[in-house]
Amino acid sequence: MLEIEIDGAKVSADPGEMLIAVTDRAGIRVPRFCYHKHLSIAANCRMCLVDIEGSPKPKPACSTPIAEGMKIWTHNDKTKISQKAVMEFLLINHPLDCPICDQGGECELQDVAMDYGADISRFTEGKRIVEDKDIGALIQTDMTRCIHCTRCVRFGDEIAGVMEMGATGRGENLKIEPFLAYGIDSELSGNMIDICPVGALTSKPFRYELRSWQMQSVAGVSRHDLVGSNLLSQTYKGKVKRIVARENSDINETWIADRERFSYQGLSHENRLLMPQIKIEGKWQEVTWNVALDFALKGLNNAVLNNKQTDRLGALATNTATLEEFYLLQKILRGVGTQNIDYRLNIKDLDATINLPSNIKLTDLETLDYGLIIGANLRLEQPLINHRLRKAVLSGAMVDVVNVAEFDFNYQPNNHNIIAPNQIALLLAGVLKVVLESTQAEVLPDLQNLNPNATAKQLAARLLRADNAVIVLGEHLLNIPQVAIIAALITQIAQHTDSKTLNTSLSANSKAADLAGFTPGRDGLDANTMLTAQLKAYILLDIYPQYDFYNSPKAIEAFNNADTFIIALNSFKDEVVLEYADILLPIANFYESPGSHVNIEGLVQSFPAAVSAPGEAKPAWKVFKVLADLLQLPGFDYTANQQITSEATMHQNPKLSKVDVSKVDVSIDLTMKKGIDIIWQKSPYAIDVLLRHSPALQMTKIGQINTASMNAATAKKLKLTQTDDYLGVPVVLSETVADDCVFINANRQTWDRGQ
Amino acid sequence: MISEKSKQTIDKWIAKYPKGQQQSAVMEALKLSQIDNGGYLDKKCIEAVADYLDMSVISVAEVATFYENYNHKPVAKYTVRFCHNISCMLNGADNLIDYLEAKINAEKLGELVQVKKVECLGACVGAPMCQINDDYFENLNEQKINEIISGLK
Ligand code: SF4
Ligand code: FES
Ligand code: FES
Repeated sequence: MLEIEIDGAKVSADPGEMLIAVTDRAGIRVPRFCYHKHLSIAANCRMCLVDIEGSPKPKPACSTPIAEGMKIWTHNDKTKISQKAVMEFLLINHPLDCPICDQGGECELQDVAMDYGADISRFTEGKRIVEDKDIGALIQTDMTRCIHCTRCVRFGDEIAGVMEMGATGRGENLKIEPFLAYGIDSELSGNMIDICPVGALTSKPFRYELRSWQMQSVAGVSRHDLVGSNLLSQTYKGKVKRIVARENSDINETWIADRERFSYQGLSHENRLLMPQIKIEGKWQEVTWNVALDFALKGLNNAVLNNKQTDRLGALATNTATLEEFYLLQKILRGVGTQNIDYRLNIKDLDATINLPSNIKLTDLETLDYGLIIGANLRLEQPLINHRLRKAVLSGAMVDVVNVAEFDFNYQPNNHNIIAPNQIALLLAGVLKVVLESTQAEVLPDLQNLNPNATAKQLAARLLRADNAVIVLGEHLLNIPQVAIIAALITQIAQHTDSKTLNTSLSANSKAADLAGFTPGRDGLDANTMLTAQLKAYILLDIYPQYDFYNSPKAIEAFNNADTFIIALNSFKDEVVLEYADILLPIANFYESPGSHVNIEGLVQSFPAAVSAPGEAKPAWKVFKVLADLLQLPGFDYTANQQITSEATMHQNPKLSKVDVSKVDVSIDLTMKKGIDIIWQKSPYAIDVLLRHSPALQMTKIGQINTASMNAATAKKLKLTQTDDYLGVPVVLSETVADDCVFINANRQTWDRGQ
Repeated sequence: MISEKSKQTIDKWIAKYPKGQQQSAVMEALKLSQIDNGGYLDKKCIEAVADYLDMSVISVAEVATFYENYNHKPVAKYTVRFCHNISCMLNGADNLIDYLEAKINAEKLGELVQVKKVECLGACVGAPMCQINDDYFENLNEQKINEIISGLK
């Protein structure tokens, strides 16, 4: 601790800190443009000049480290004269177009100019003009307004991990731009809008919509992934108009991913479901909520309740539902006496759900020295988790990848081990064997005859050597037939190497579903078995089967079964749902209902509703409450969402997994199966219904991903060429895909995959 | 857009820097790529250099647009770098530059020769002077310029 004096007051600070960090903490305002606490120091705008005793000229606070006994003045005449001079220079080339600038009212330049700018410009020469480029669907450019602070350039280089903006030219001709006609494509690009201090980079979907002061800001939490990014939904007349990041250093720092920022567009999509509807003799009729709920009750009574066949009732939900929705729906089902409840729709082997603990905090990811990523395209699946891992890599950690194809990382993994899906279990068994041998633990009989290959030895050695290792499990594992063995092997490896695990395989608000007990428990049917069990009635929460299931055709077939009564709660209209549902209840989506997200650390974050749902749509938790009352179930006299939250977080959820993963049973057959495995993953901007209806995101490069990638050998086996489609998805030949593997990144799941 | 021969030279440059710092060779790589491409850098050259040095394309473009000697449009076969700094200026460089430019215009030699005014080339003893591609020409006057230009093909 050092002590310095700012404007006559004593302040203590850590050695090595920059002055501006100290003044910020002390609440003393020092104007700045180029400084951002999460970016490197550029010190190019000079706006932050302060007077330091003993220094003949004022110095930039953002790049001057503190020293014991330093005395600085942030508001004396010397400081003010310099700051005014800097301001005058900055304004020389800045257009006076605040009235038509979207940044107006939330512009750092405008604010600082109010304090430090002169009323009348002395500059009578022509101002420079910079031509704008179209850099994509998300960010609008007005580069004449750019003050060359290079925040956006540094953001790309340092945070997004791909340098997309750059400073070309020199002097008067310096321009901030991407290369020629390249766009800005990173999954975190929208943060440039937040950090640009002027109106050079603004939100394209929000262009010319409103002034910042016209909107109300409501704190929110995103449910697109496992992070639970904090954000502000900014609303006007009952509509969400914009989303911006809300700082939370433990969760998302100051960043949010693009899908968080722009998915709100889907809320006002014309396909929103607005009225309750019932199907009478094959015809849809719009009705009031009362009629609809009566109809629902009658339907349930007829189908399963009156004849005491409650075990023929099932409930399935989307993984973006809120904790409270999960909780109430399972409570209804358990209330009427069934445990057929599930949200894990796109998993092959549910018995083996990767029920591994995630036992590492997001912030701890930064201090790792070794990471092993298995089966994940982490950057697009969990952008902010990947960002933390990237930070670790930048400060010296090593990351290895075991994947079925080579994905783009925004850091350099040590080894990209690209191996066939059916080989992953074998590799991990090898790793475990080496680990057991080197820790002098007993080598399980199943592993005796195994010969670990070089990769297995290397991974084992690195896991053993690391002090702080994490094993990250990804979504692709859910597609692999041997997922049960893989889960068991990883548990053992983690135990014996003292590694942490981070399970990202079930995303969105899955942790809330687990917490709420939205799983079948020991006596219920899981999502896959329900589909084959010919149930008599379903309650489906925001499900769109052509996108959501491991075997979508089979799900659609099951729902279309003539004597199955289906209550569908949906936020969007959908052809397929219209086909099978008997009753359609319009429900709220993101920001339209209070609720809670549970993130990968198990942190419960509750949020209020920012707007009300459109038309007659209602928050699903309210629908469930009324339905429970109609069913005369006890224990549903809630008056507020928070009551459900506390009940849901208190209650002991039934044990999720039926398989004890703490013992390895590798006898199941470690020899790999022959044949080609399909690893299917939804396109990153199609993972939930809201994203699928967000036009700007769909226009981005990531939004357009729709490929079935395979290597030439696999293509040959399947008799396919570059110009063909495979299962309705365009074929892309790439030697970075493992043997015997087709990696499909597409929205829909249209082919029968067996079970 | 980088020839095999240039790649070998670039590799030599890369070897001079610590491992992982191959981007330090960017200026040399751009220079060679420019030569390979007939005197100017186009999109492909910049992408090729970025790829070869494992840099982002835009950071290569930053360097390529910063320095005057990287060209971004096709160039004439001969570039006359005419010094107009103090010594040459005192010896009449400005008039000679005007003369040369007028001559190129009148004789429609634009595709063969182009003129660039540059700062001191360190040959003040022979002022006024110019550099044509890799050669220096000193103690210039109108007659000498006529001779030199007519010798260019
Ligand atoms: S565009 Fe904005 S963030 Fe980027 S350099 Fe210009 S002013 Fe700074
Ligand atoms: S904030 Fe210090 S120089 Fe820009
Ligand atoms: S001033 Fe012309 S060569 Fe030096």
